[in-house]
Amino acid sequence: MVVPCPAPVRSLLLTLVCLVAVAQPAAAEPASREAFAFAVELVKGSDPDMRAVALERLRDGLAGEAYSVELAEKVLPAVPPEVQVRLISALAGRRDAAALPGLVSMAASADESVAAAALRAIATLGAGAQVPLLVARLEGQGPVHDAARAGLVAIQAADVSPRLVAAAADATMPAASRAAIFEILAERRDRAALSLLVSAAKADDPELRAAAMRGLARLGGPAEVPGMVAGFLAAQPGKERDDAERAILAVCGAGPELKPAAAEIVTAYRAAAPATQQTLLPLVARIGGPDALAIVEALVADPDAARRSLGLTALSRWPDAAVKDRLLGLLATTSDDGERRLLVGTLIRIAPIPNNGLSDAQRLALLADTMKLCSTDDDRRRILERAGAIRTVETLRFIVPSLDTPPLAESAAKGVVELAHQQKLRDANKPEFTAALDRVLAVAKDPITRERAERYLQGKTWERR
Amino acid sequence: MAIDPASLDAPFAALAAFDWGGDANALAPLDAAVVAAHGDASLTADLEKRLASVLGSPAPRAAKHYACRKLSLIGTAASVPALAALLADKDLSHMARFALERYAAPEATAVLRTALGSVEGDLTIGMLSSLAAKRDAASVPAIAALVKGDSAVAAAAAEALGLIAGPEAAAALAAAQTSGAAAESVVDARLACAEAFVKAGRKADARGVYEALSRAVGDAPTTHRGRAVRMACQRGLFATIDG
Repeated sequence: MVVPCPAPVRSLLLTLVCLVAVAQPAAAEPASREAFAFAVELVKGSDPDMRAVALERLRDGLAGEAYSVELAEKVLPAVPPEVQVRLISALAGRRDAAALPGLVSMAASADESVAAAALRAIATLGAGAQVPLLVARLEGQGPVHDAARAGLVAIQAADVSPRLVAAAADATMPAASRAAIFEILAERRDRAALSLLVSAAKADDPELRAAAMRGLARLGGPAEVPGMVAGFLAAQPGKERDDAERAILAVCGAGPELKPAAAEIVTAYRAAAPATQQTLLPLVARIGGPDALAIVEALVADPDAARRSLGLTALSRWPDAAVKDRLLGLLATTSDDGERRLLVGTLIRIAPIPNNGLSDAQRLALLADTMKLCSTDDDRRRILERAGAIRTVETLRFIVPSLDTPPLAESAAKGVVELAHQQKLRDANKPEFTAALDRVLAVAKDPITRERAERYLQGKTWERR
Repeated sequence: MAIDPASLDAPFAALAAFDWGGDANALAPLDAAVVAAHGDASLTADLEKRLASVLGSPAPRAAKHYACRKLSLIGTAASVPALAALLADKDLSHMARFALERYAAPEATAVLRTALGSVEGDLTIGMLSSLAAKRDAASVPAIAALVKGDSAVAAAAAEALGLIAGPEAAAALAAAQTSGAAAESVVDARLACAEAFVKAGRKADARGVYEALSRAVGDAPTTHRGRAVRMACQRGLFATIDG
């Protein structure tokens, strides 16, 4: 039994010493009952140092379900909010689900920091049964929403996923909350949500559609492409459709993975009505591949000017250099200025793309061939600035002569410094780069270009900004 | 693979002349021999004898450092005298201690204890460090005698007692008359002793230290250090009563 110390005791420490000295643990209580009582006293007290020590002890020691319940249901409501936040954190650290009922009460606190701390702790200790509570706090913005969202991403138990998917499917919930759950499911890499996301990709609500497509971009694969195509078609032209296209591209991947996804898109295109085909055509072209090329070629060859224009526009979106010869061929035969600009612009875009199927020498040769076909200095300038993406000394030799052509000099200077940024290339061809950079300083007016040239000449690097 | 000791004549000759910046490859056979000596008492004894003889020779300092490093791996009581002879040498004392700290032979601890009374200044701090590393309870009285005033030696002695721990060390620390940084080292060492008591299950001893330190620091310390000590004591007290 515990004999009371003389009051008032001079310090909390002495209180503890007294308790320890005279206490005889009751048979029904754990040996640490006195320590627990004293820790609670320190938590309730006004000394922040001692409170910190006590909270550490409660977090890492003094184990026991009864203690967790007492802390959560009796101590927690009785301390000020700033202490509540810290005690809630300690309760989460105890990893004892017995504290959950008390924490659930605190989640309703009017103090946002307390409610947010409680939600974080509930997510740490909870399971599927706590999902509805966390979902309910997703509404709005602020620390409570953020805590609920982070909690739903982090909460771990086998029954969490079905409850989250069910909540996401609940049409009575606000669209913003459902959209948030879509994103949470994607962050959890929860593939059980795929069919729901596919179905939501073509929902009436644009917020839901967009969130579903973002989720599919992270979770989906070729099997989801048909559903995502439906989402693409449901998207409003403009940003939503552009984002939808990016989501599909993300799912399609690259290399061998691309083939089945591309086939799905081509299949969807072929099965679509003409008006829908027109909407899908940019996507078909953006994916590329032989089947898509056949579709585009048929349009380019169409005697109808509008359909040919659609085909050429599609060709201009091609992802790699597979269509370079076709573009050069069309350029050689067309007399339409608009078509020429489109085709030249496409060649300028695709030629320097890394991993576009061409070697460095082939990429540079294509750029050089395109240069010969350019009819405006604007196009020539674009070529010179993009040439820096082909990191060879031959590219430097291609660019340098343009430093002496005043309308092109500034762009050529940019191309030179971009190449010079590659230190290994620069060091391996130092005399040529030194001469080129000296020439850049003689002709360039752009301050950044000049600064870069000066730094590279001094053997320094330059930080992009 | 058995190693013929005669094959090490040339490497030992190279060692006798070895200096920093020299060809370390010439010593590679000695490295291999030390590895091969594991479980080979005859080879171990031969290597130990020849390495110890380097210590007493006019060989460069680098060669003696090398010999100390190798002796730390294979040394026995037989080479303790050669190392003990270096303990008062300001250039070689630390490498001799490096080897002796790793010796299992009690003779190694004994020579460190003896040296503690005969060296001065930084070399004394070195001996304290090595005796603490060996957790040598027998040297507590000698170390305790150094915990006085405010000096680097006093601080090092207090730290050594904290590492050695035990009732004698704790008592010596409690009785120490120190000031300044040395006094802070004494407090740290007493906390270390108390933690060692807790780990050893001697909770009453631990509680005694924590209570004494708490009383000394008071209820409302004004310095950061004072607050830290008070919190450390509180943590310790919890550890003594939380089963």
